[in-house]
Amino acid sequence: MSDLALTQAPALPWLRRHKVLAGCAALLVLPLAAPYPALATDVIVWGLYALGFNLLYGGLGLLSFGHAALFGGGAYACGIVLTRAGLPPTLAPWAAIAAGPLAGAAIALLMGLLATRTRGIYFAMVTLALAQCAWFVAYQSSVWTGGENGLRGVNLTTVPLPGFSLDFLHPLSRYYLLAAIVAAALAVLARIEASPFGAAMAAVRENEGRARACGYDVARIRLLGFVLSGGFAGLAGALYALKLGIVPIEAMDLHVSGQAVIMTLLGGAGTFFGPFIGAALVVVIETQLSAVTEHWPLLVGALFVACVLFFPRGVWGTLAAR
Amino acid sequence: MTYVLETRGLTKRFGGFTALNGVSVGIKAGALTAIIGPNGAGKSTFFNLITGALAPSAGQVLFEGADITGTPQHRWAGLGIAKSFQITNVFPRLTALENVRVAAQARLTRFDPWRARARLTALVDEAHALLATVGLRHRAEAEAATLAHGEQRALEIAIALAARPRLLLMDEPTAGMSPEETRTIMDLVLRLTTERTVVLVEHKMKLVMGVSDRLLVLHHGELLAEGTPDDIRANAEVRRVYLGSRAA
Amino acid sequence: MTYPPDLLLLQAFTGLALGAVYVLLATGLSLIFGLLGVVNFAHGAFYMLGAYAGLFLFAATGNFWLCLVGVPLLVGACGLVVQRTLLRPLEGRGPDDPLLLTFGLAAIVVELVRMGYGKQALPFDTPDALQGAVDIGVGYFPLYRLFVIAVAALVMLALWLLIERTRVGLIIRSAARDPVIVRVLGVDVSLVWMLVFGLGTAIAGLAGLLAAPLQGASPEMGVTVLAEAFVVTVVGGMGSLGGAVVAGLLIGVVVSLTGLLAPEMAKVSMFALMAVVLILRPQGLFGRPA
Repeated sequence: MSDLALTQAPALPWLRRHKVLAGCAALLVLPLAAPYPALATDVIVWGLYALGFNLLYGGLGLLSFGHAALFGGGAYACGIVLTRAGLPPTLAPWAAIAAGPLAGAAIALLMGLLATRTRGIYFAMVTLALAQCAWFVAYQSSVWTGGENGLRGVNLTTVPLPGFSLDFLHPLSRYYLLAAIVAAALAVLARIEASPFGAAMAAVRENEGRARACGYDVARIRLLGFVLSGGFAGLAGALYALKLGIVPIEAMDLHVSGQAVIMTLLGGAGTFFGPFIGAALVVVIETQLSAVTEHWPLLVGALFVACVLFFPRGVWGTLAAR
Repeated sequence: MTYVLETRGLTKRFGGFTALNGVSVGIKAGALTAIIGPNGAGKSTFFNLITGALAPSAGQVLFEGADITGTPQHRWAGLGIAKSFQITNVFPRLTALENVRVAAQARLTRFDPWRARARLTALVDEAHALLATVGLRHRAEAEAATLAHGEQRALEIAIALAARPRLLLMDEPTAGMSPEETRTIMDLVLRLTTERTVVLVEHKMKLVMGVSDRLLVLHHGELLAEGTPDDIRANAEVRRVYLGSRAA
Repeated sequence: MTYPPDLLLLQAFTGLALGAVYVLLATGLSLIFGLLGVVNFAHGAFYMLGAYAGLFLFAATGNFWLCLVGVPLLVGACGLVVQRTLLRPLEGRGPDDPLLLTFGLAAIVVELVRMGYGKQALPFDTPDALQGAVDIGVGYFPLYRLFVIAVAALVMLALWLLIERTRVGLIIRSAARDPVIVRVLGVDVSLVWMLVFGLGTAIAGLAGLLAAPLQGASPEMGVTVLAEAFVVTVVGGMGSLGGAVVAGLLIGVVVSLTGLLAPEMAKVSMFALMAVVLILRPQGLFGRPA
């Protein structure tokens, strides 16, 4: 028995009971820990994305390699609403943000209708292929997406709030606006997990045949889980677009699908905080190491392989299990 | 009269092999019926057909007079038919309580996303009561995977009961159990029969002879005999098939 | 707009050459899945490795025919090492773990190649003896593409003979069906699995080498091709070699013809085909139903 286990033991049940509160506290202090606010913004956007992925993988046991289409779709939807819809400036930012999860969920519905027709291991292959298809579609539709050059001009300078207007160009106020949205998403996610639907997802994950015999429509639960996951990924995509001011075609790249897998597994799949911690880990490695060498993906890849081999429960999963 | 469960000419072929051939039986309400037969008689195929896990090649399954052939698997529980599997089949990483609670929750027709599942107290109480029924009251918070084999089988029965079935179908509920565990489970089965119709598929003839109201004997995929335990004991063909093969 | 039938036929023939590469890729993927139950996400990386191994061997020897033998051996050897050191420790875990591991491995391999050869795509010259075009009745067709089709056909024939007609093939088929029995009979099943993984990756490496003169070599070439190989496998049916052949050629021709008739749809056409197959026959054209 190590001392660490003794000191951690009382803290964990508290964390488990007040997940959302703990998450909000972390969001609040994160900019203090980060060397500059933009890094903290990166962490929470990718963290939200990984959380959405984990809803599907940790919650239902479905391994998707197609989340780039949901993330990218959300980013494009947000950008298009902001640049094309011609909405009044009081409405435009909020409509653009709302367009993200809607687009993510809609694309997930389309992909899910096809991918959930297959069983087991096919799911990863079919979702990867469909995401590749989505990339081609986005690449060809340059009228809407800007194709290779990306969707430019996703400029948001001020966000109207009741009583005042928030300066979106200021790094810290930008962070806190996005953090507030992420906090709301965290609360919704915790709600889903604790809801009867969350229980049904767990039943399907644990034993598909038994869940079916109990009366659960397994195919529908999977589809709905995928759609919800797509909503979160799409919201993350929208925040990514606002943060960047442009939607590059890379937002749909298969690499982005892989990021969700890597972040979630590294942090700890099926845990509430794991995906966020994994996202922070990857973002920090990426930004800190890319200054030293362009071959930083090598370290991320090696870390991931080591994770699968030696600590499949991930950083947070391993710590929490102590 | 109408039966709780009735099969008409139930047939299942796998490729060129006929596992079950034209079986027509009727199962009466409120009784314990056992389906027996030597290995390879078609018992498991028959069980999978009357629980909807397999679709028949020909024939029908009727529940309370209505044809339910081809109804998707997940609808059977809602009709009032529950099953326990031959291989232990629980939700391994959920607690015993949650195993039963989530099964009871499946009866809800709609998900209410704004109420946490722990607040659905009626379901939690019901799950506790069912665990007590199968003798697992003290194990409610244990992860299902950590339960002993006999306990897992008992848990599975509780999961099946959570659907509030009028018909309970069980596939060799005592397979792989110690004599003591076997006695406990058979006592439980008898208690359950007082409130609903129970059908047992069983390999061990001795186990069911004393307790069943009716027996159906399958052999080579066909119905060999049907009747009370006394009828079956007196049936020359059954003796030849069962005892003859044993004696030889 | 109408097209002369000769042009369509010639384009379809071009599709066969593309399809031949797909067939090889999907065959390796199917072989590995059929026996090991592993979806090899590093399959595209081994394909890319084949192209670079070809560059390396060709620079060293100047002999393309030597590459044709050496590249599969080299890439296959890498596959053996990967299976023995990284995949074997995962035996007994769920099917997701080897998939995740090969996915991470692919990222490492791509980065290593970038370190060695840079990020830019490198040209790969068509070997002198295979340059030019031949008249195939409907028009002139590049000799090298004909060669690709022929090599793929030879490999598939050899593979079929190996699996159906030899003792090794018998062991492979039995091990796929029931590894426990085969182990009881005294066959080292772990060795069979290692060799099959090596064989599958060797075929992927060969496919990469054959594709290199058509499209050059780049570190990312394996990424898109992985998605395409998955489409072929899903359409053909996972674990079916016959399905890999039919679906590979079919998709090659479909992509090639849409490239002529509606160029902007060429890349998307194979995914549309996959969607249709998933709706009508989710287990794939030659797959066993659930």
